[in-house]
Amino acid sequence: MKISMKKFVLAAASAAVLGGAMSSAQAANWLMLQGTEKPGAAPRAKVWGFIQPEYQHTDDTRLKAGAFAGQKAIFNQMRPDLKSSSGFNVLRARLGVRGVAMPLDSNVNYFLLAEFGNNGITRQGGGNVKLTDASVTFNHFKGARVRIGQFKYPGAEEGLQAIHVFDYINFSNVTNGLLLERFFDGDGSTTAGNGTGTCTSGSANAACANNPNGPVGAFRDVGIQLFETFKQSDWEHSYAFMVGNGNGITRGNNDNAYDTYAYWSSEKVFGGKGPRRMGWKMFLWGQQGKRTLTGANNSGGAGTYDRTRAGLGTTFRNQRHRFALEYISADGMIFNGTDGGAVAGSANNAGTGTASWNVATDGKADGYYIHYGFAPIPKVELDFRYDYYNRDKDNNAGQRVFDTYTLGFQYFFNKKTRMILNYEKREAHAPNLAGGSPANQILDSIDNRISAQVLAIF
Amino acid sequence: MKRLTSRVIAVLFVVGLSVISFQASAEKDFAEQKIVLQISDPNPFKQTLVLNVAGNLLKHYGSDKVEIEIVAFGPGLRLLFEENANKGRINSLAAEGVQFSACANTVKNMGKKLGHPPALSDKAVTVSAGVVRIIELQNKGYMLIKP
Repeated sequence: MKISMKKFVLAAASAAVLGGAMSSAQAANWLMLQGTEKPGAAPRAKVWGFIQPEYQHTDDTRLKAGAFAGQKAIFNQMRPDLKSSSGFNVLRARLGVRGVAMPLDSNVNYFLLAEFGNNGITRQGGGNVKLTDASVTFNHFKGARVRIGQFKYPGAEEGLQAIHVFDYINFSNVTNGLLLERFFDGDGSTTAGNGTGTCTSGSANAACANNPNGPVGAFRDVGIQLFETFKQSDWEHSYAFMVGNGNGITRGNNDNAYDTYAYWSSEKVFGGKGPRRMGWKMFLWGQQGKRTLTGANNSGGAGTYDRTRAGLGTTFRNQRHRFALEYISADGMIFNGTDGGAVAGSANNAGTGTASWNVATDGKADGYYIHYGFAPIPKVELDFRYDYYNRDKDNNAGQRVFDTYTLGFQYFFNKKTRMILNYEKREAHAPNLAGGSPANQILDSIDNRISAQVLAIF
Repeated sequence: MKRLTSRVIAVLFVVGLSVISFQASAEKDFAEQKIVLQISDPNPFKQTLVLNVAGNLLKHYGSDKVEIEIVAFGPGLRLLFEENANKGRINSLAAEGVQFSACANTVKNMGKKLGHPPALSDKAVTVSAGVVRIIELQNKGYMLIKP
């Protein structure tokens, strides 16, 4: 932990030095970009969308130890199918429409977006197309705009930012683990080999896998948000408060409990506009809610648990340099991977159990990422990201630490079309267990990953 | 003597102002180009386009060598809404002498739909009918451009 804190302090210090060395900066106001339209200058219906075909590859190293030794490692398989270590996929294909239904009245605008791609949104919960956003914003009260419906909740930069301007192909580990929420029936504590109920001991059985019971949260919720941006000279100060179901997208509440969200950002604007506006932004956010697990399919852990997330960070962007740093902490409902690192639903080698998804319902975690991008010429951007994720950190045996170094290359065919290449050096270890322990041998099975993606916005 | 001096100075001041005013008027009267830009399209991109065209004309001819009037009517009147996102550019162009005319008929019709007349930019001058204003300007030698 001392080492991780040292790394974080060093990263923060580097950020401060870097930020101070640059004369101008950039960031974007996602609350306003996604929730409002230009007054008096918005269309009745602007059709837009984007497509993200991709290729990913790992060496498909098999699990080196544990009850599933020799089997496929889930972290080396391509999401969302988890059946192959390499292949092509149309990760996202989104089509939407936004604008002001009645052009004469700029006080009301709407935002509608649907997902047609193959990912955690569309693969779970039935159907091949899912609604990701459907919201109406009322701008009547300056100082307190109101947005109602399903949309991105105010929170971490990686989640809140428009995905079509994301500089990488995969999210950082800390964002993926703590914020890209999966919803389960149980905590997975009883499915591995208990041989009761619907689970047949030792067989490959999807019913024992504690698979997600709906789409991933996609950094979205269904609810109501108050927000506004206040301009002061070349600074913009923004706030948002939201109350939502806390039960993901495309469905209603499941437990009469609500999630609450708070967000603040202050940004020095240097120029430009839209998602690539130049500026320097600092932000702070928090969210709190409860999750109710039914324990269906013998997945275990039935009950209601607190789920808290918080973070703070900064982003910076000018003509040639991009920088981001964000720290995230979490308490409760920690997504905890699968038994033995196997693909959920796989039978163990002894024929006594089935791998399932797990949740550390009372666990804690934290982590951070630091990103730097450099554009030597307008058509090319070179990126580097380091992310650190300390999972289930208060559990001696269960604690896992992930370090990922990502090198990125982006080539812009034009402003709307680009190619992204990523190479991720992925490392993980169980800090409280011996180096030769099964857990550490399993974590040593994690491959580096190569990814390529084309992104076209229209 | 003092009183006489004060009167002479006052007269000279008034005459001076008149001369300056006459020169400014004469400069506009002898503008090389007189252009009326029409915006009647609901497409927001047309708002940007018409403002770009006005800016380019000013840049090319110079603000003292060209007279520009932007006439907005129909769906294009949204350009002159008080809250319009382009109000900063409208103010800048107005400061350089560009005139903005808003069609009263459109204001009236939009008022019926909204329940109240739309609030217009303080740079907009209401004219009885946008299309009539364009005809009048053309009769005065203005060239009509519809970007």
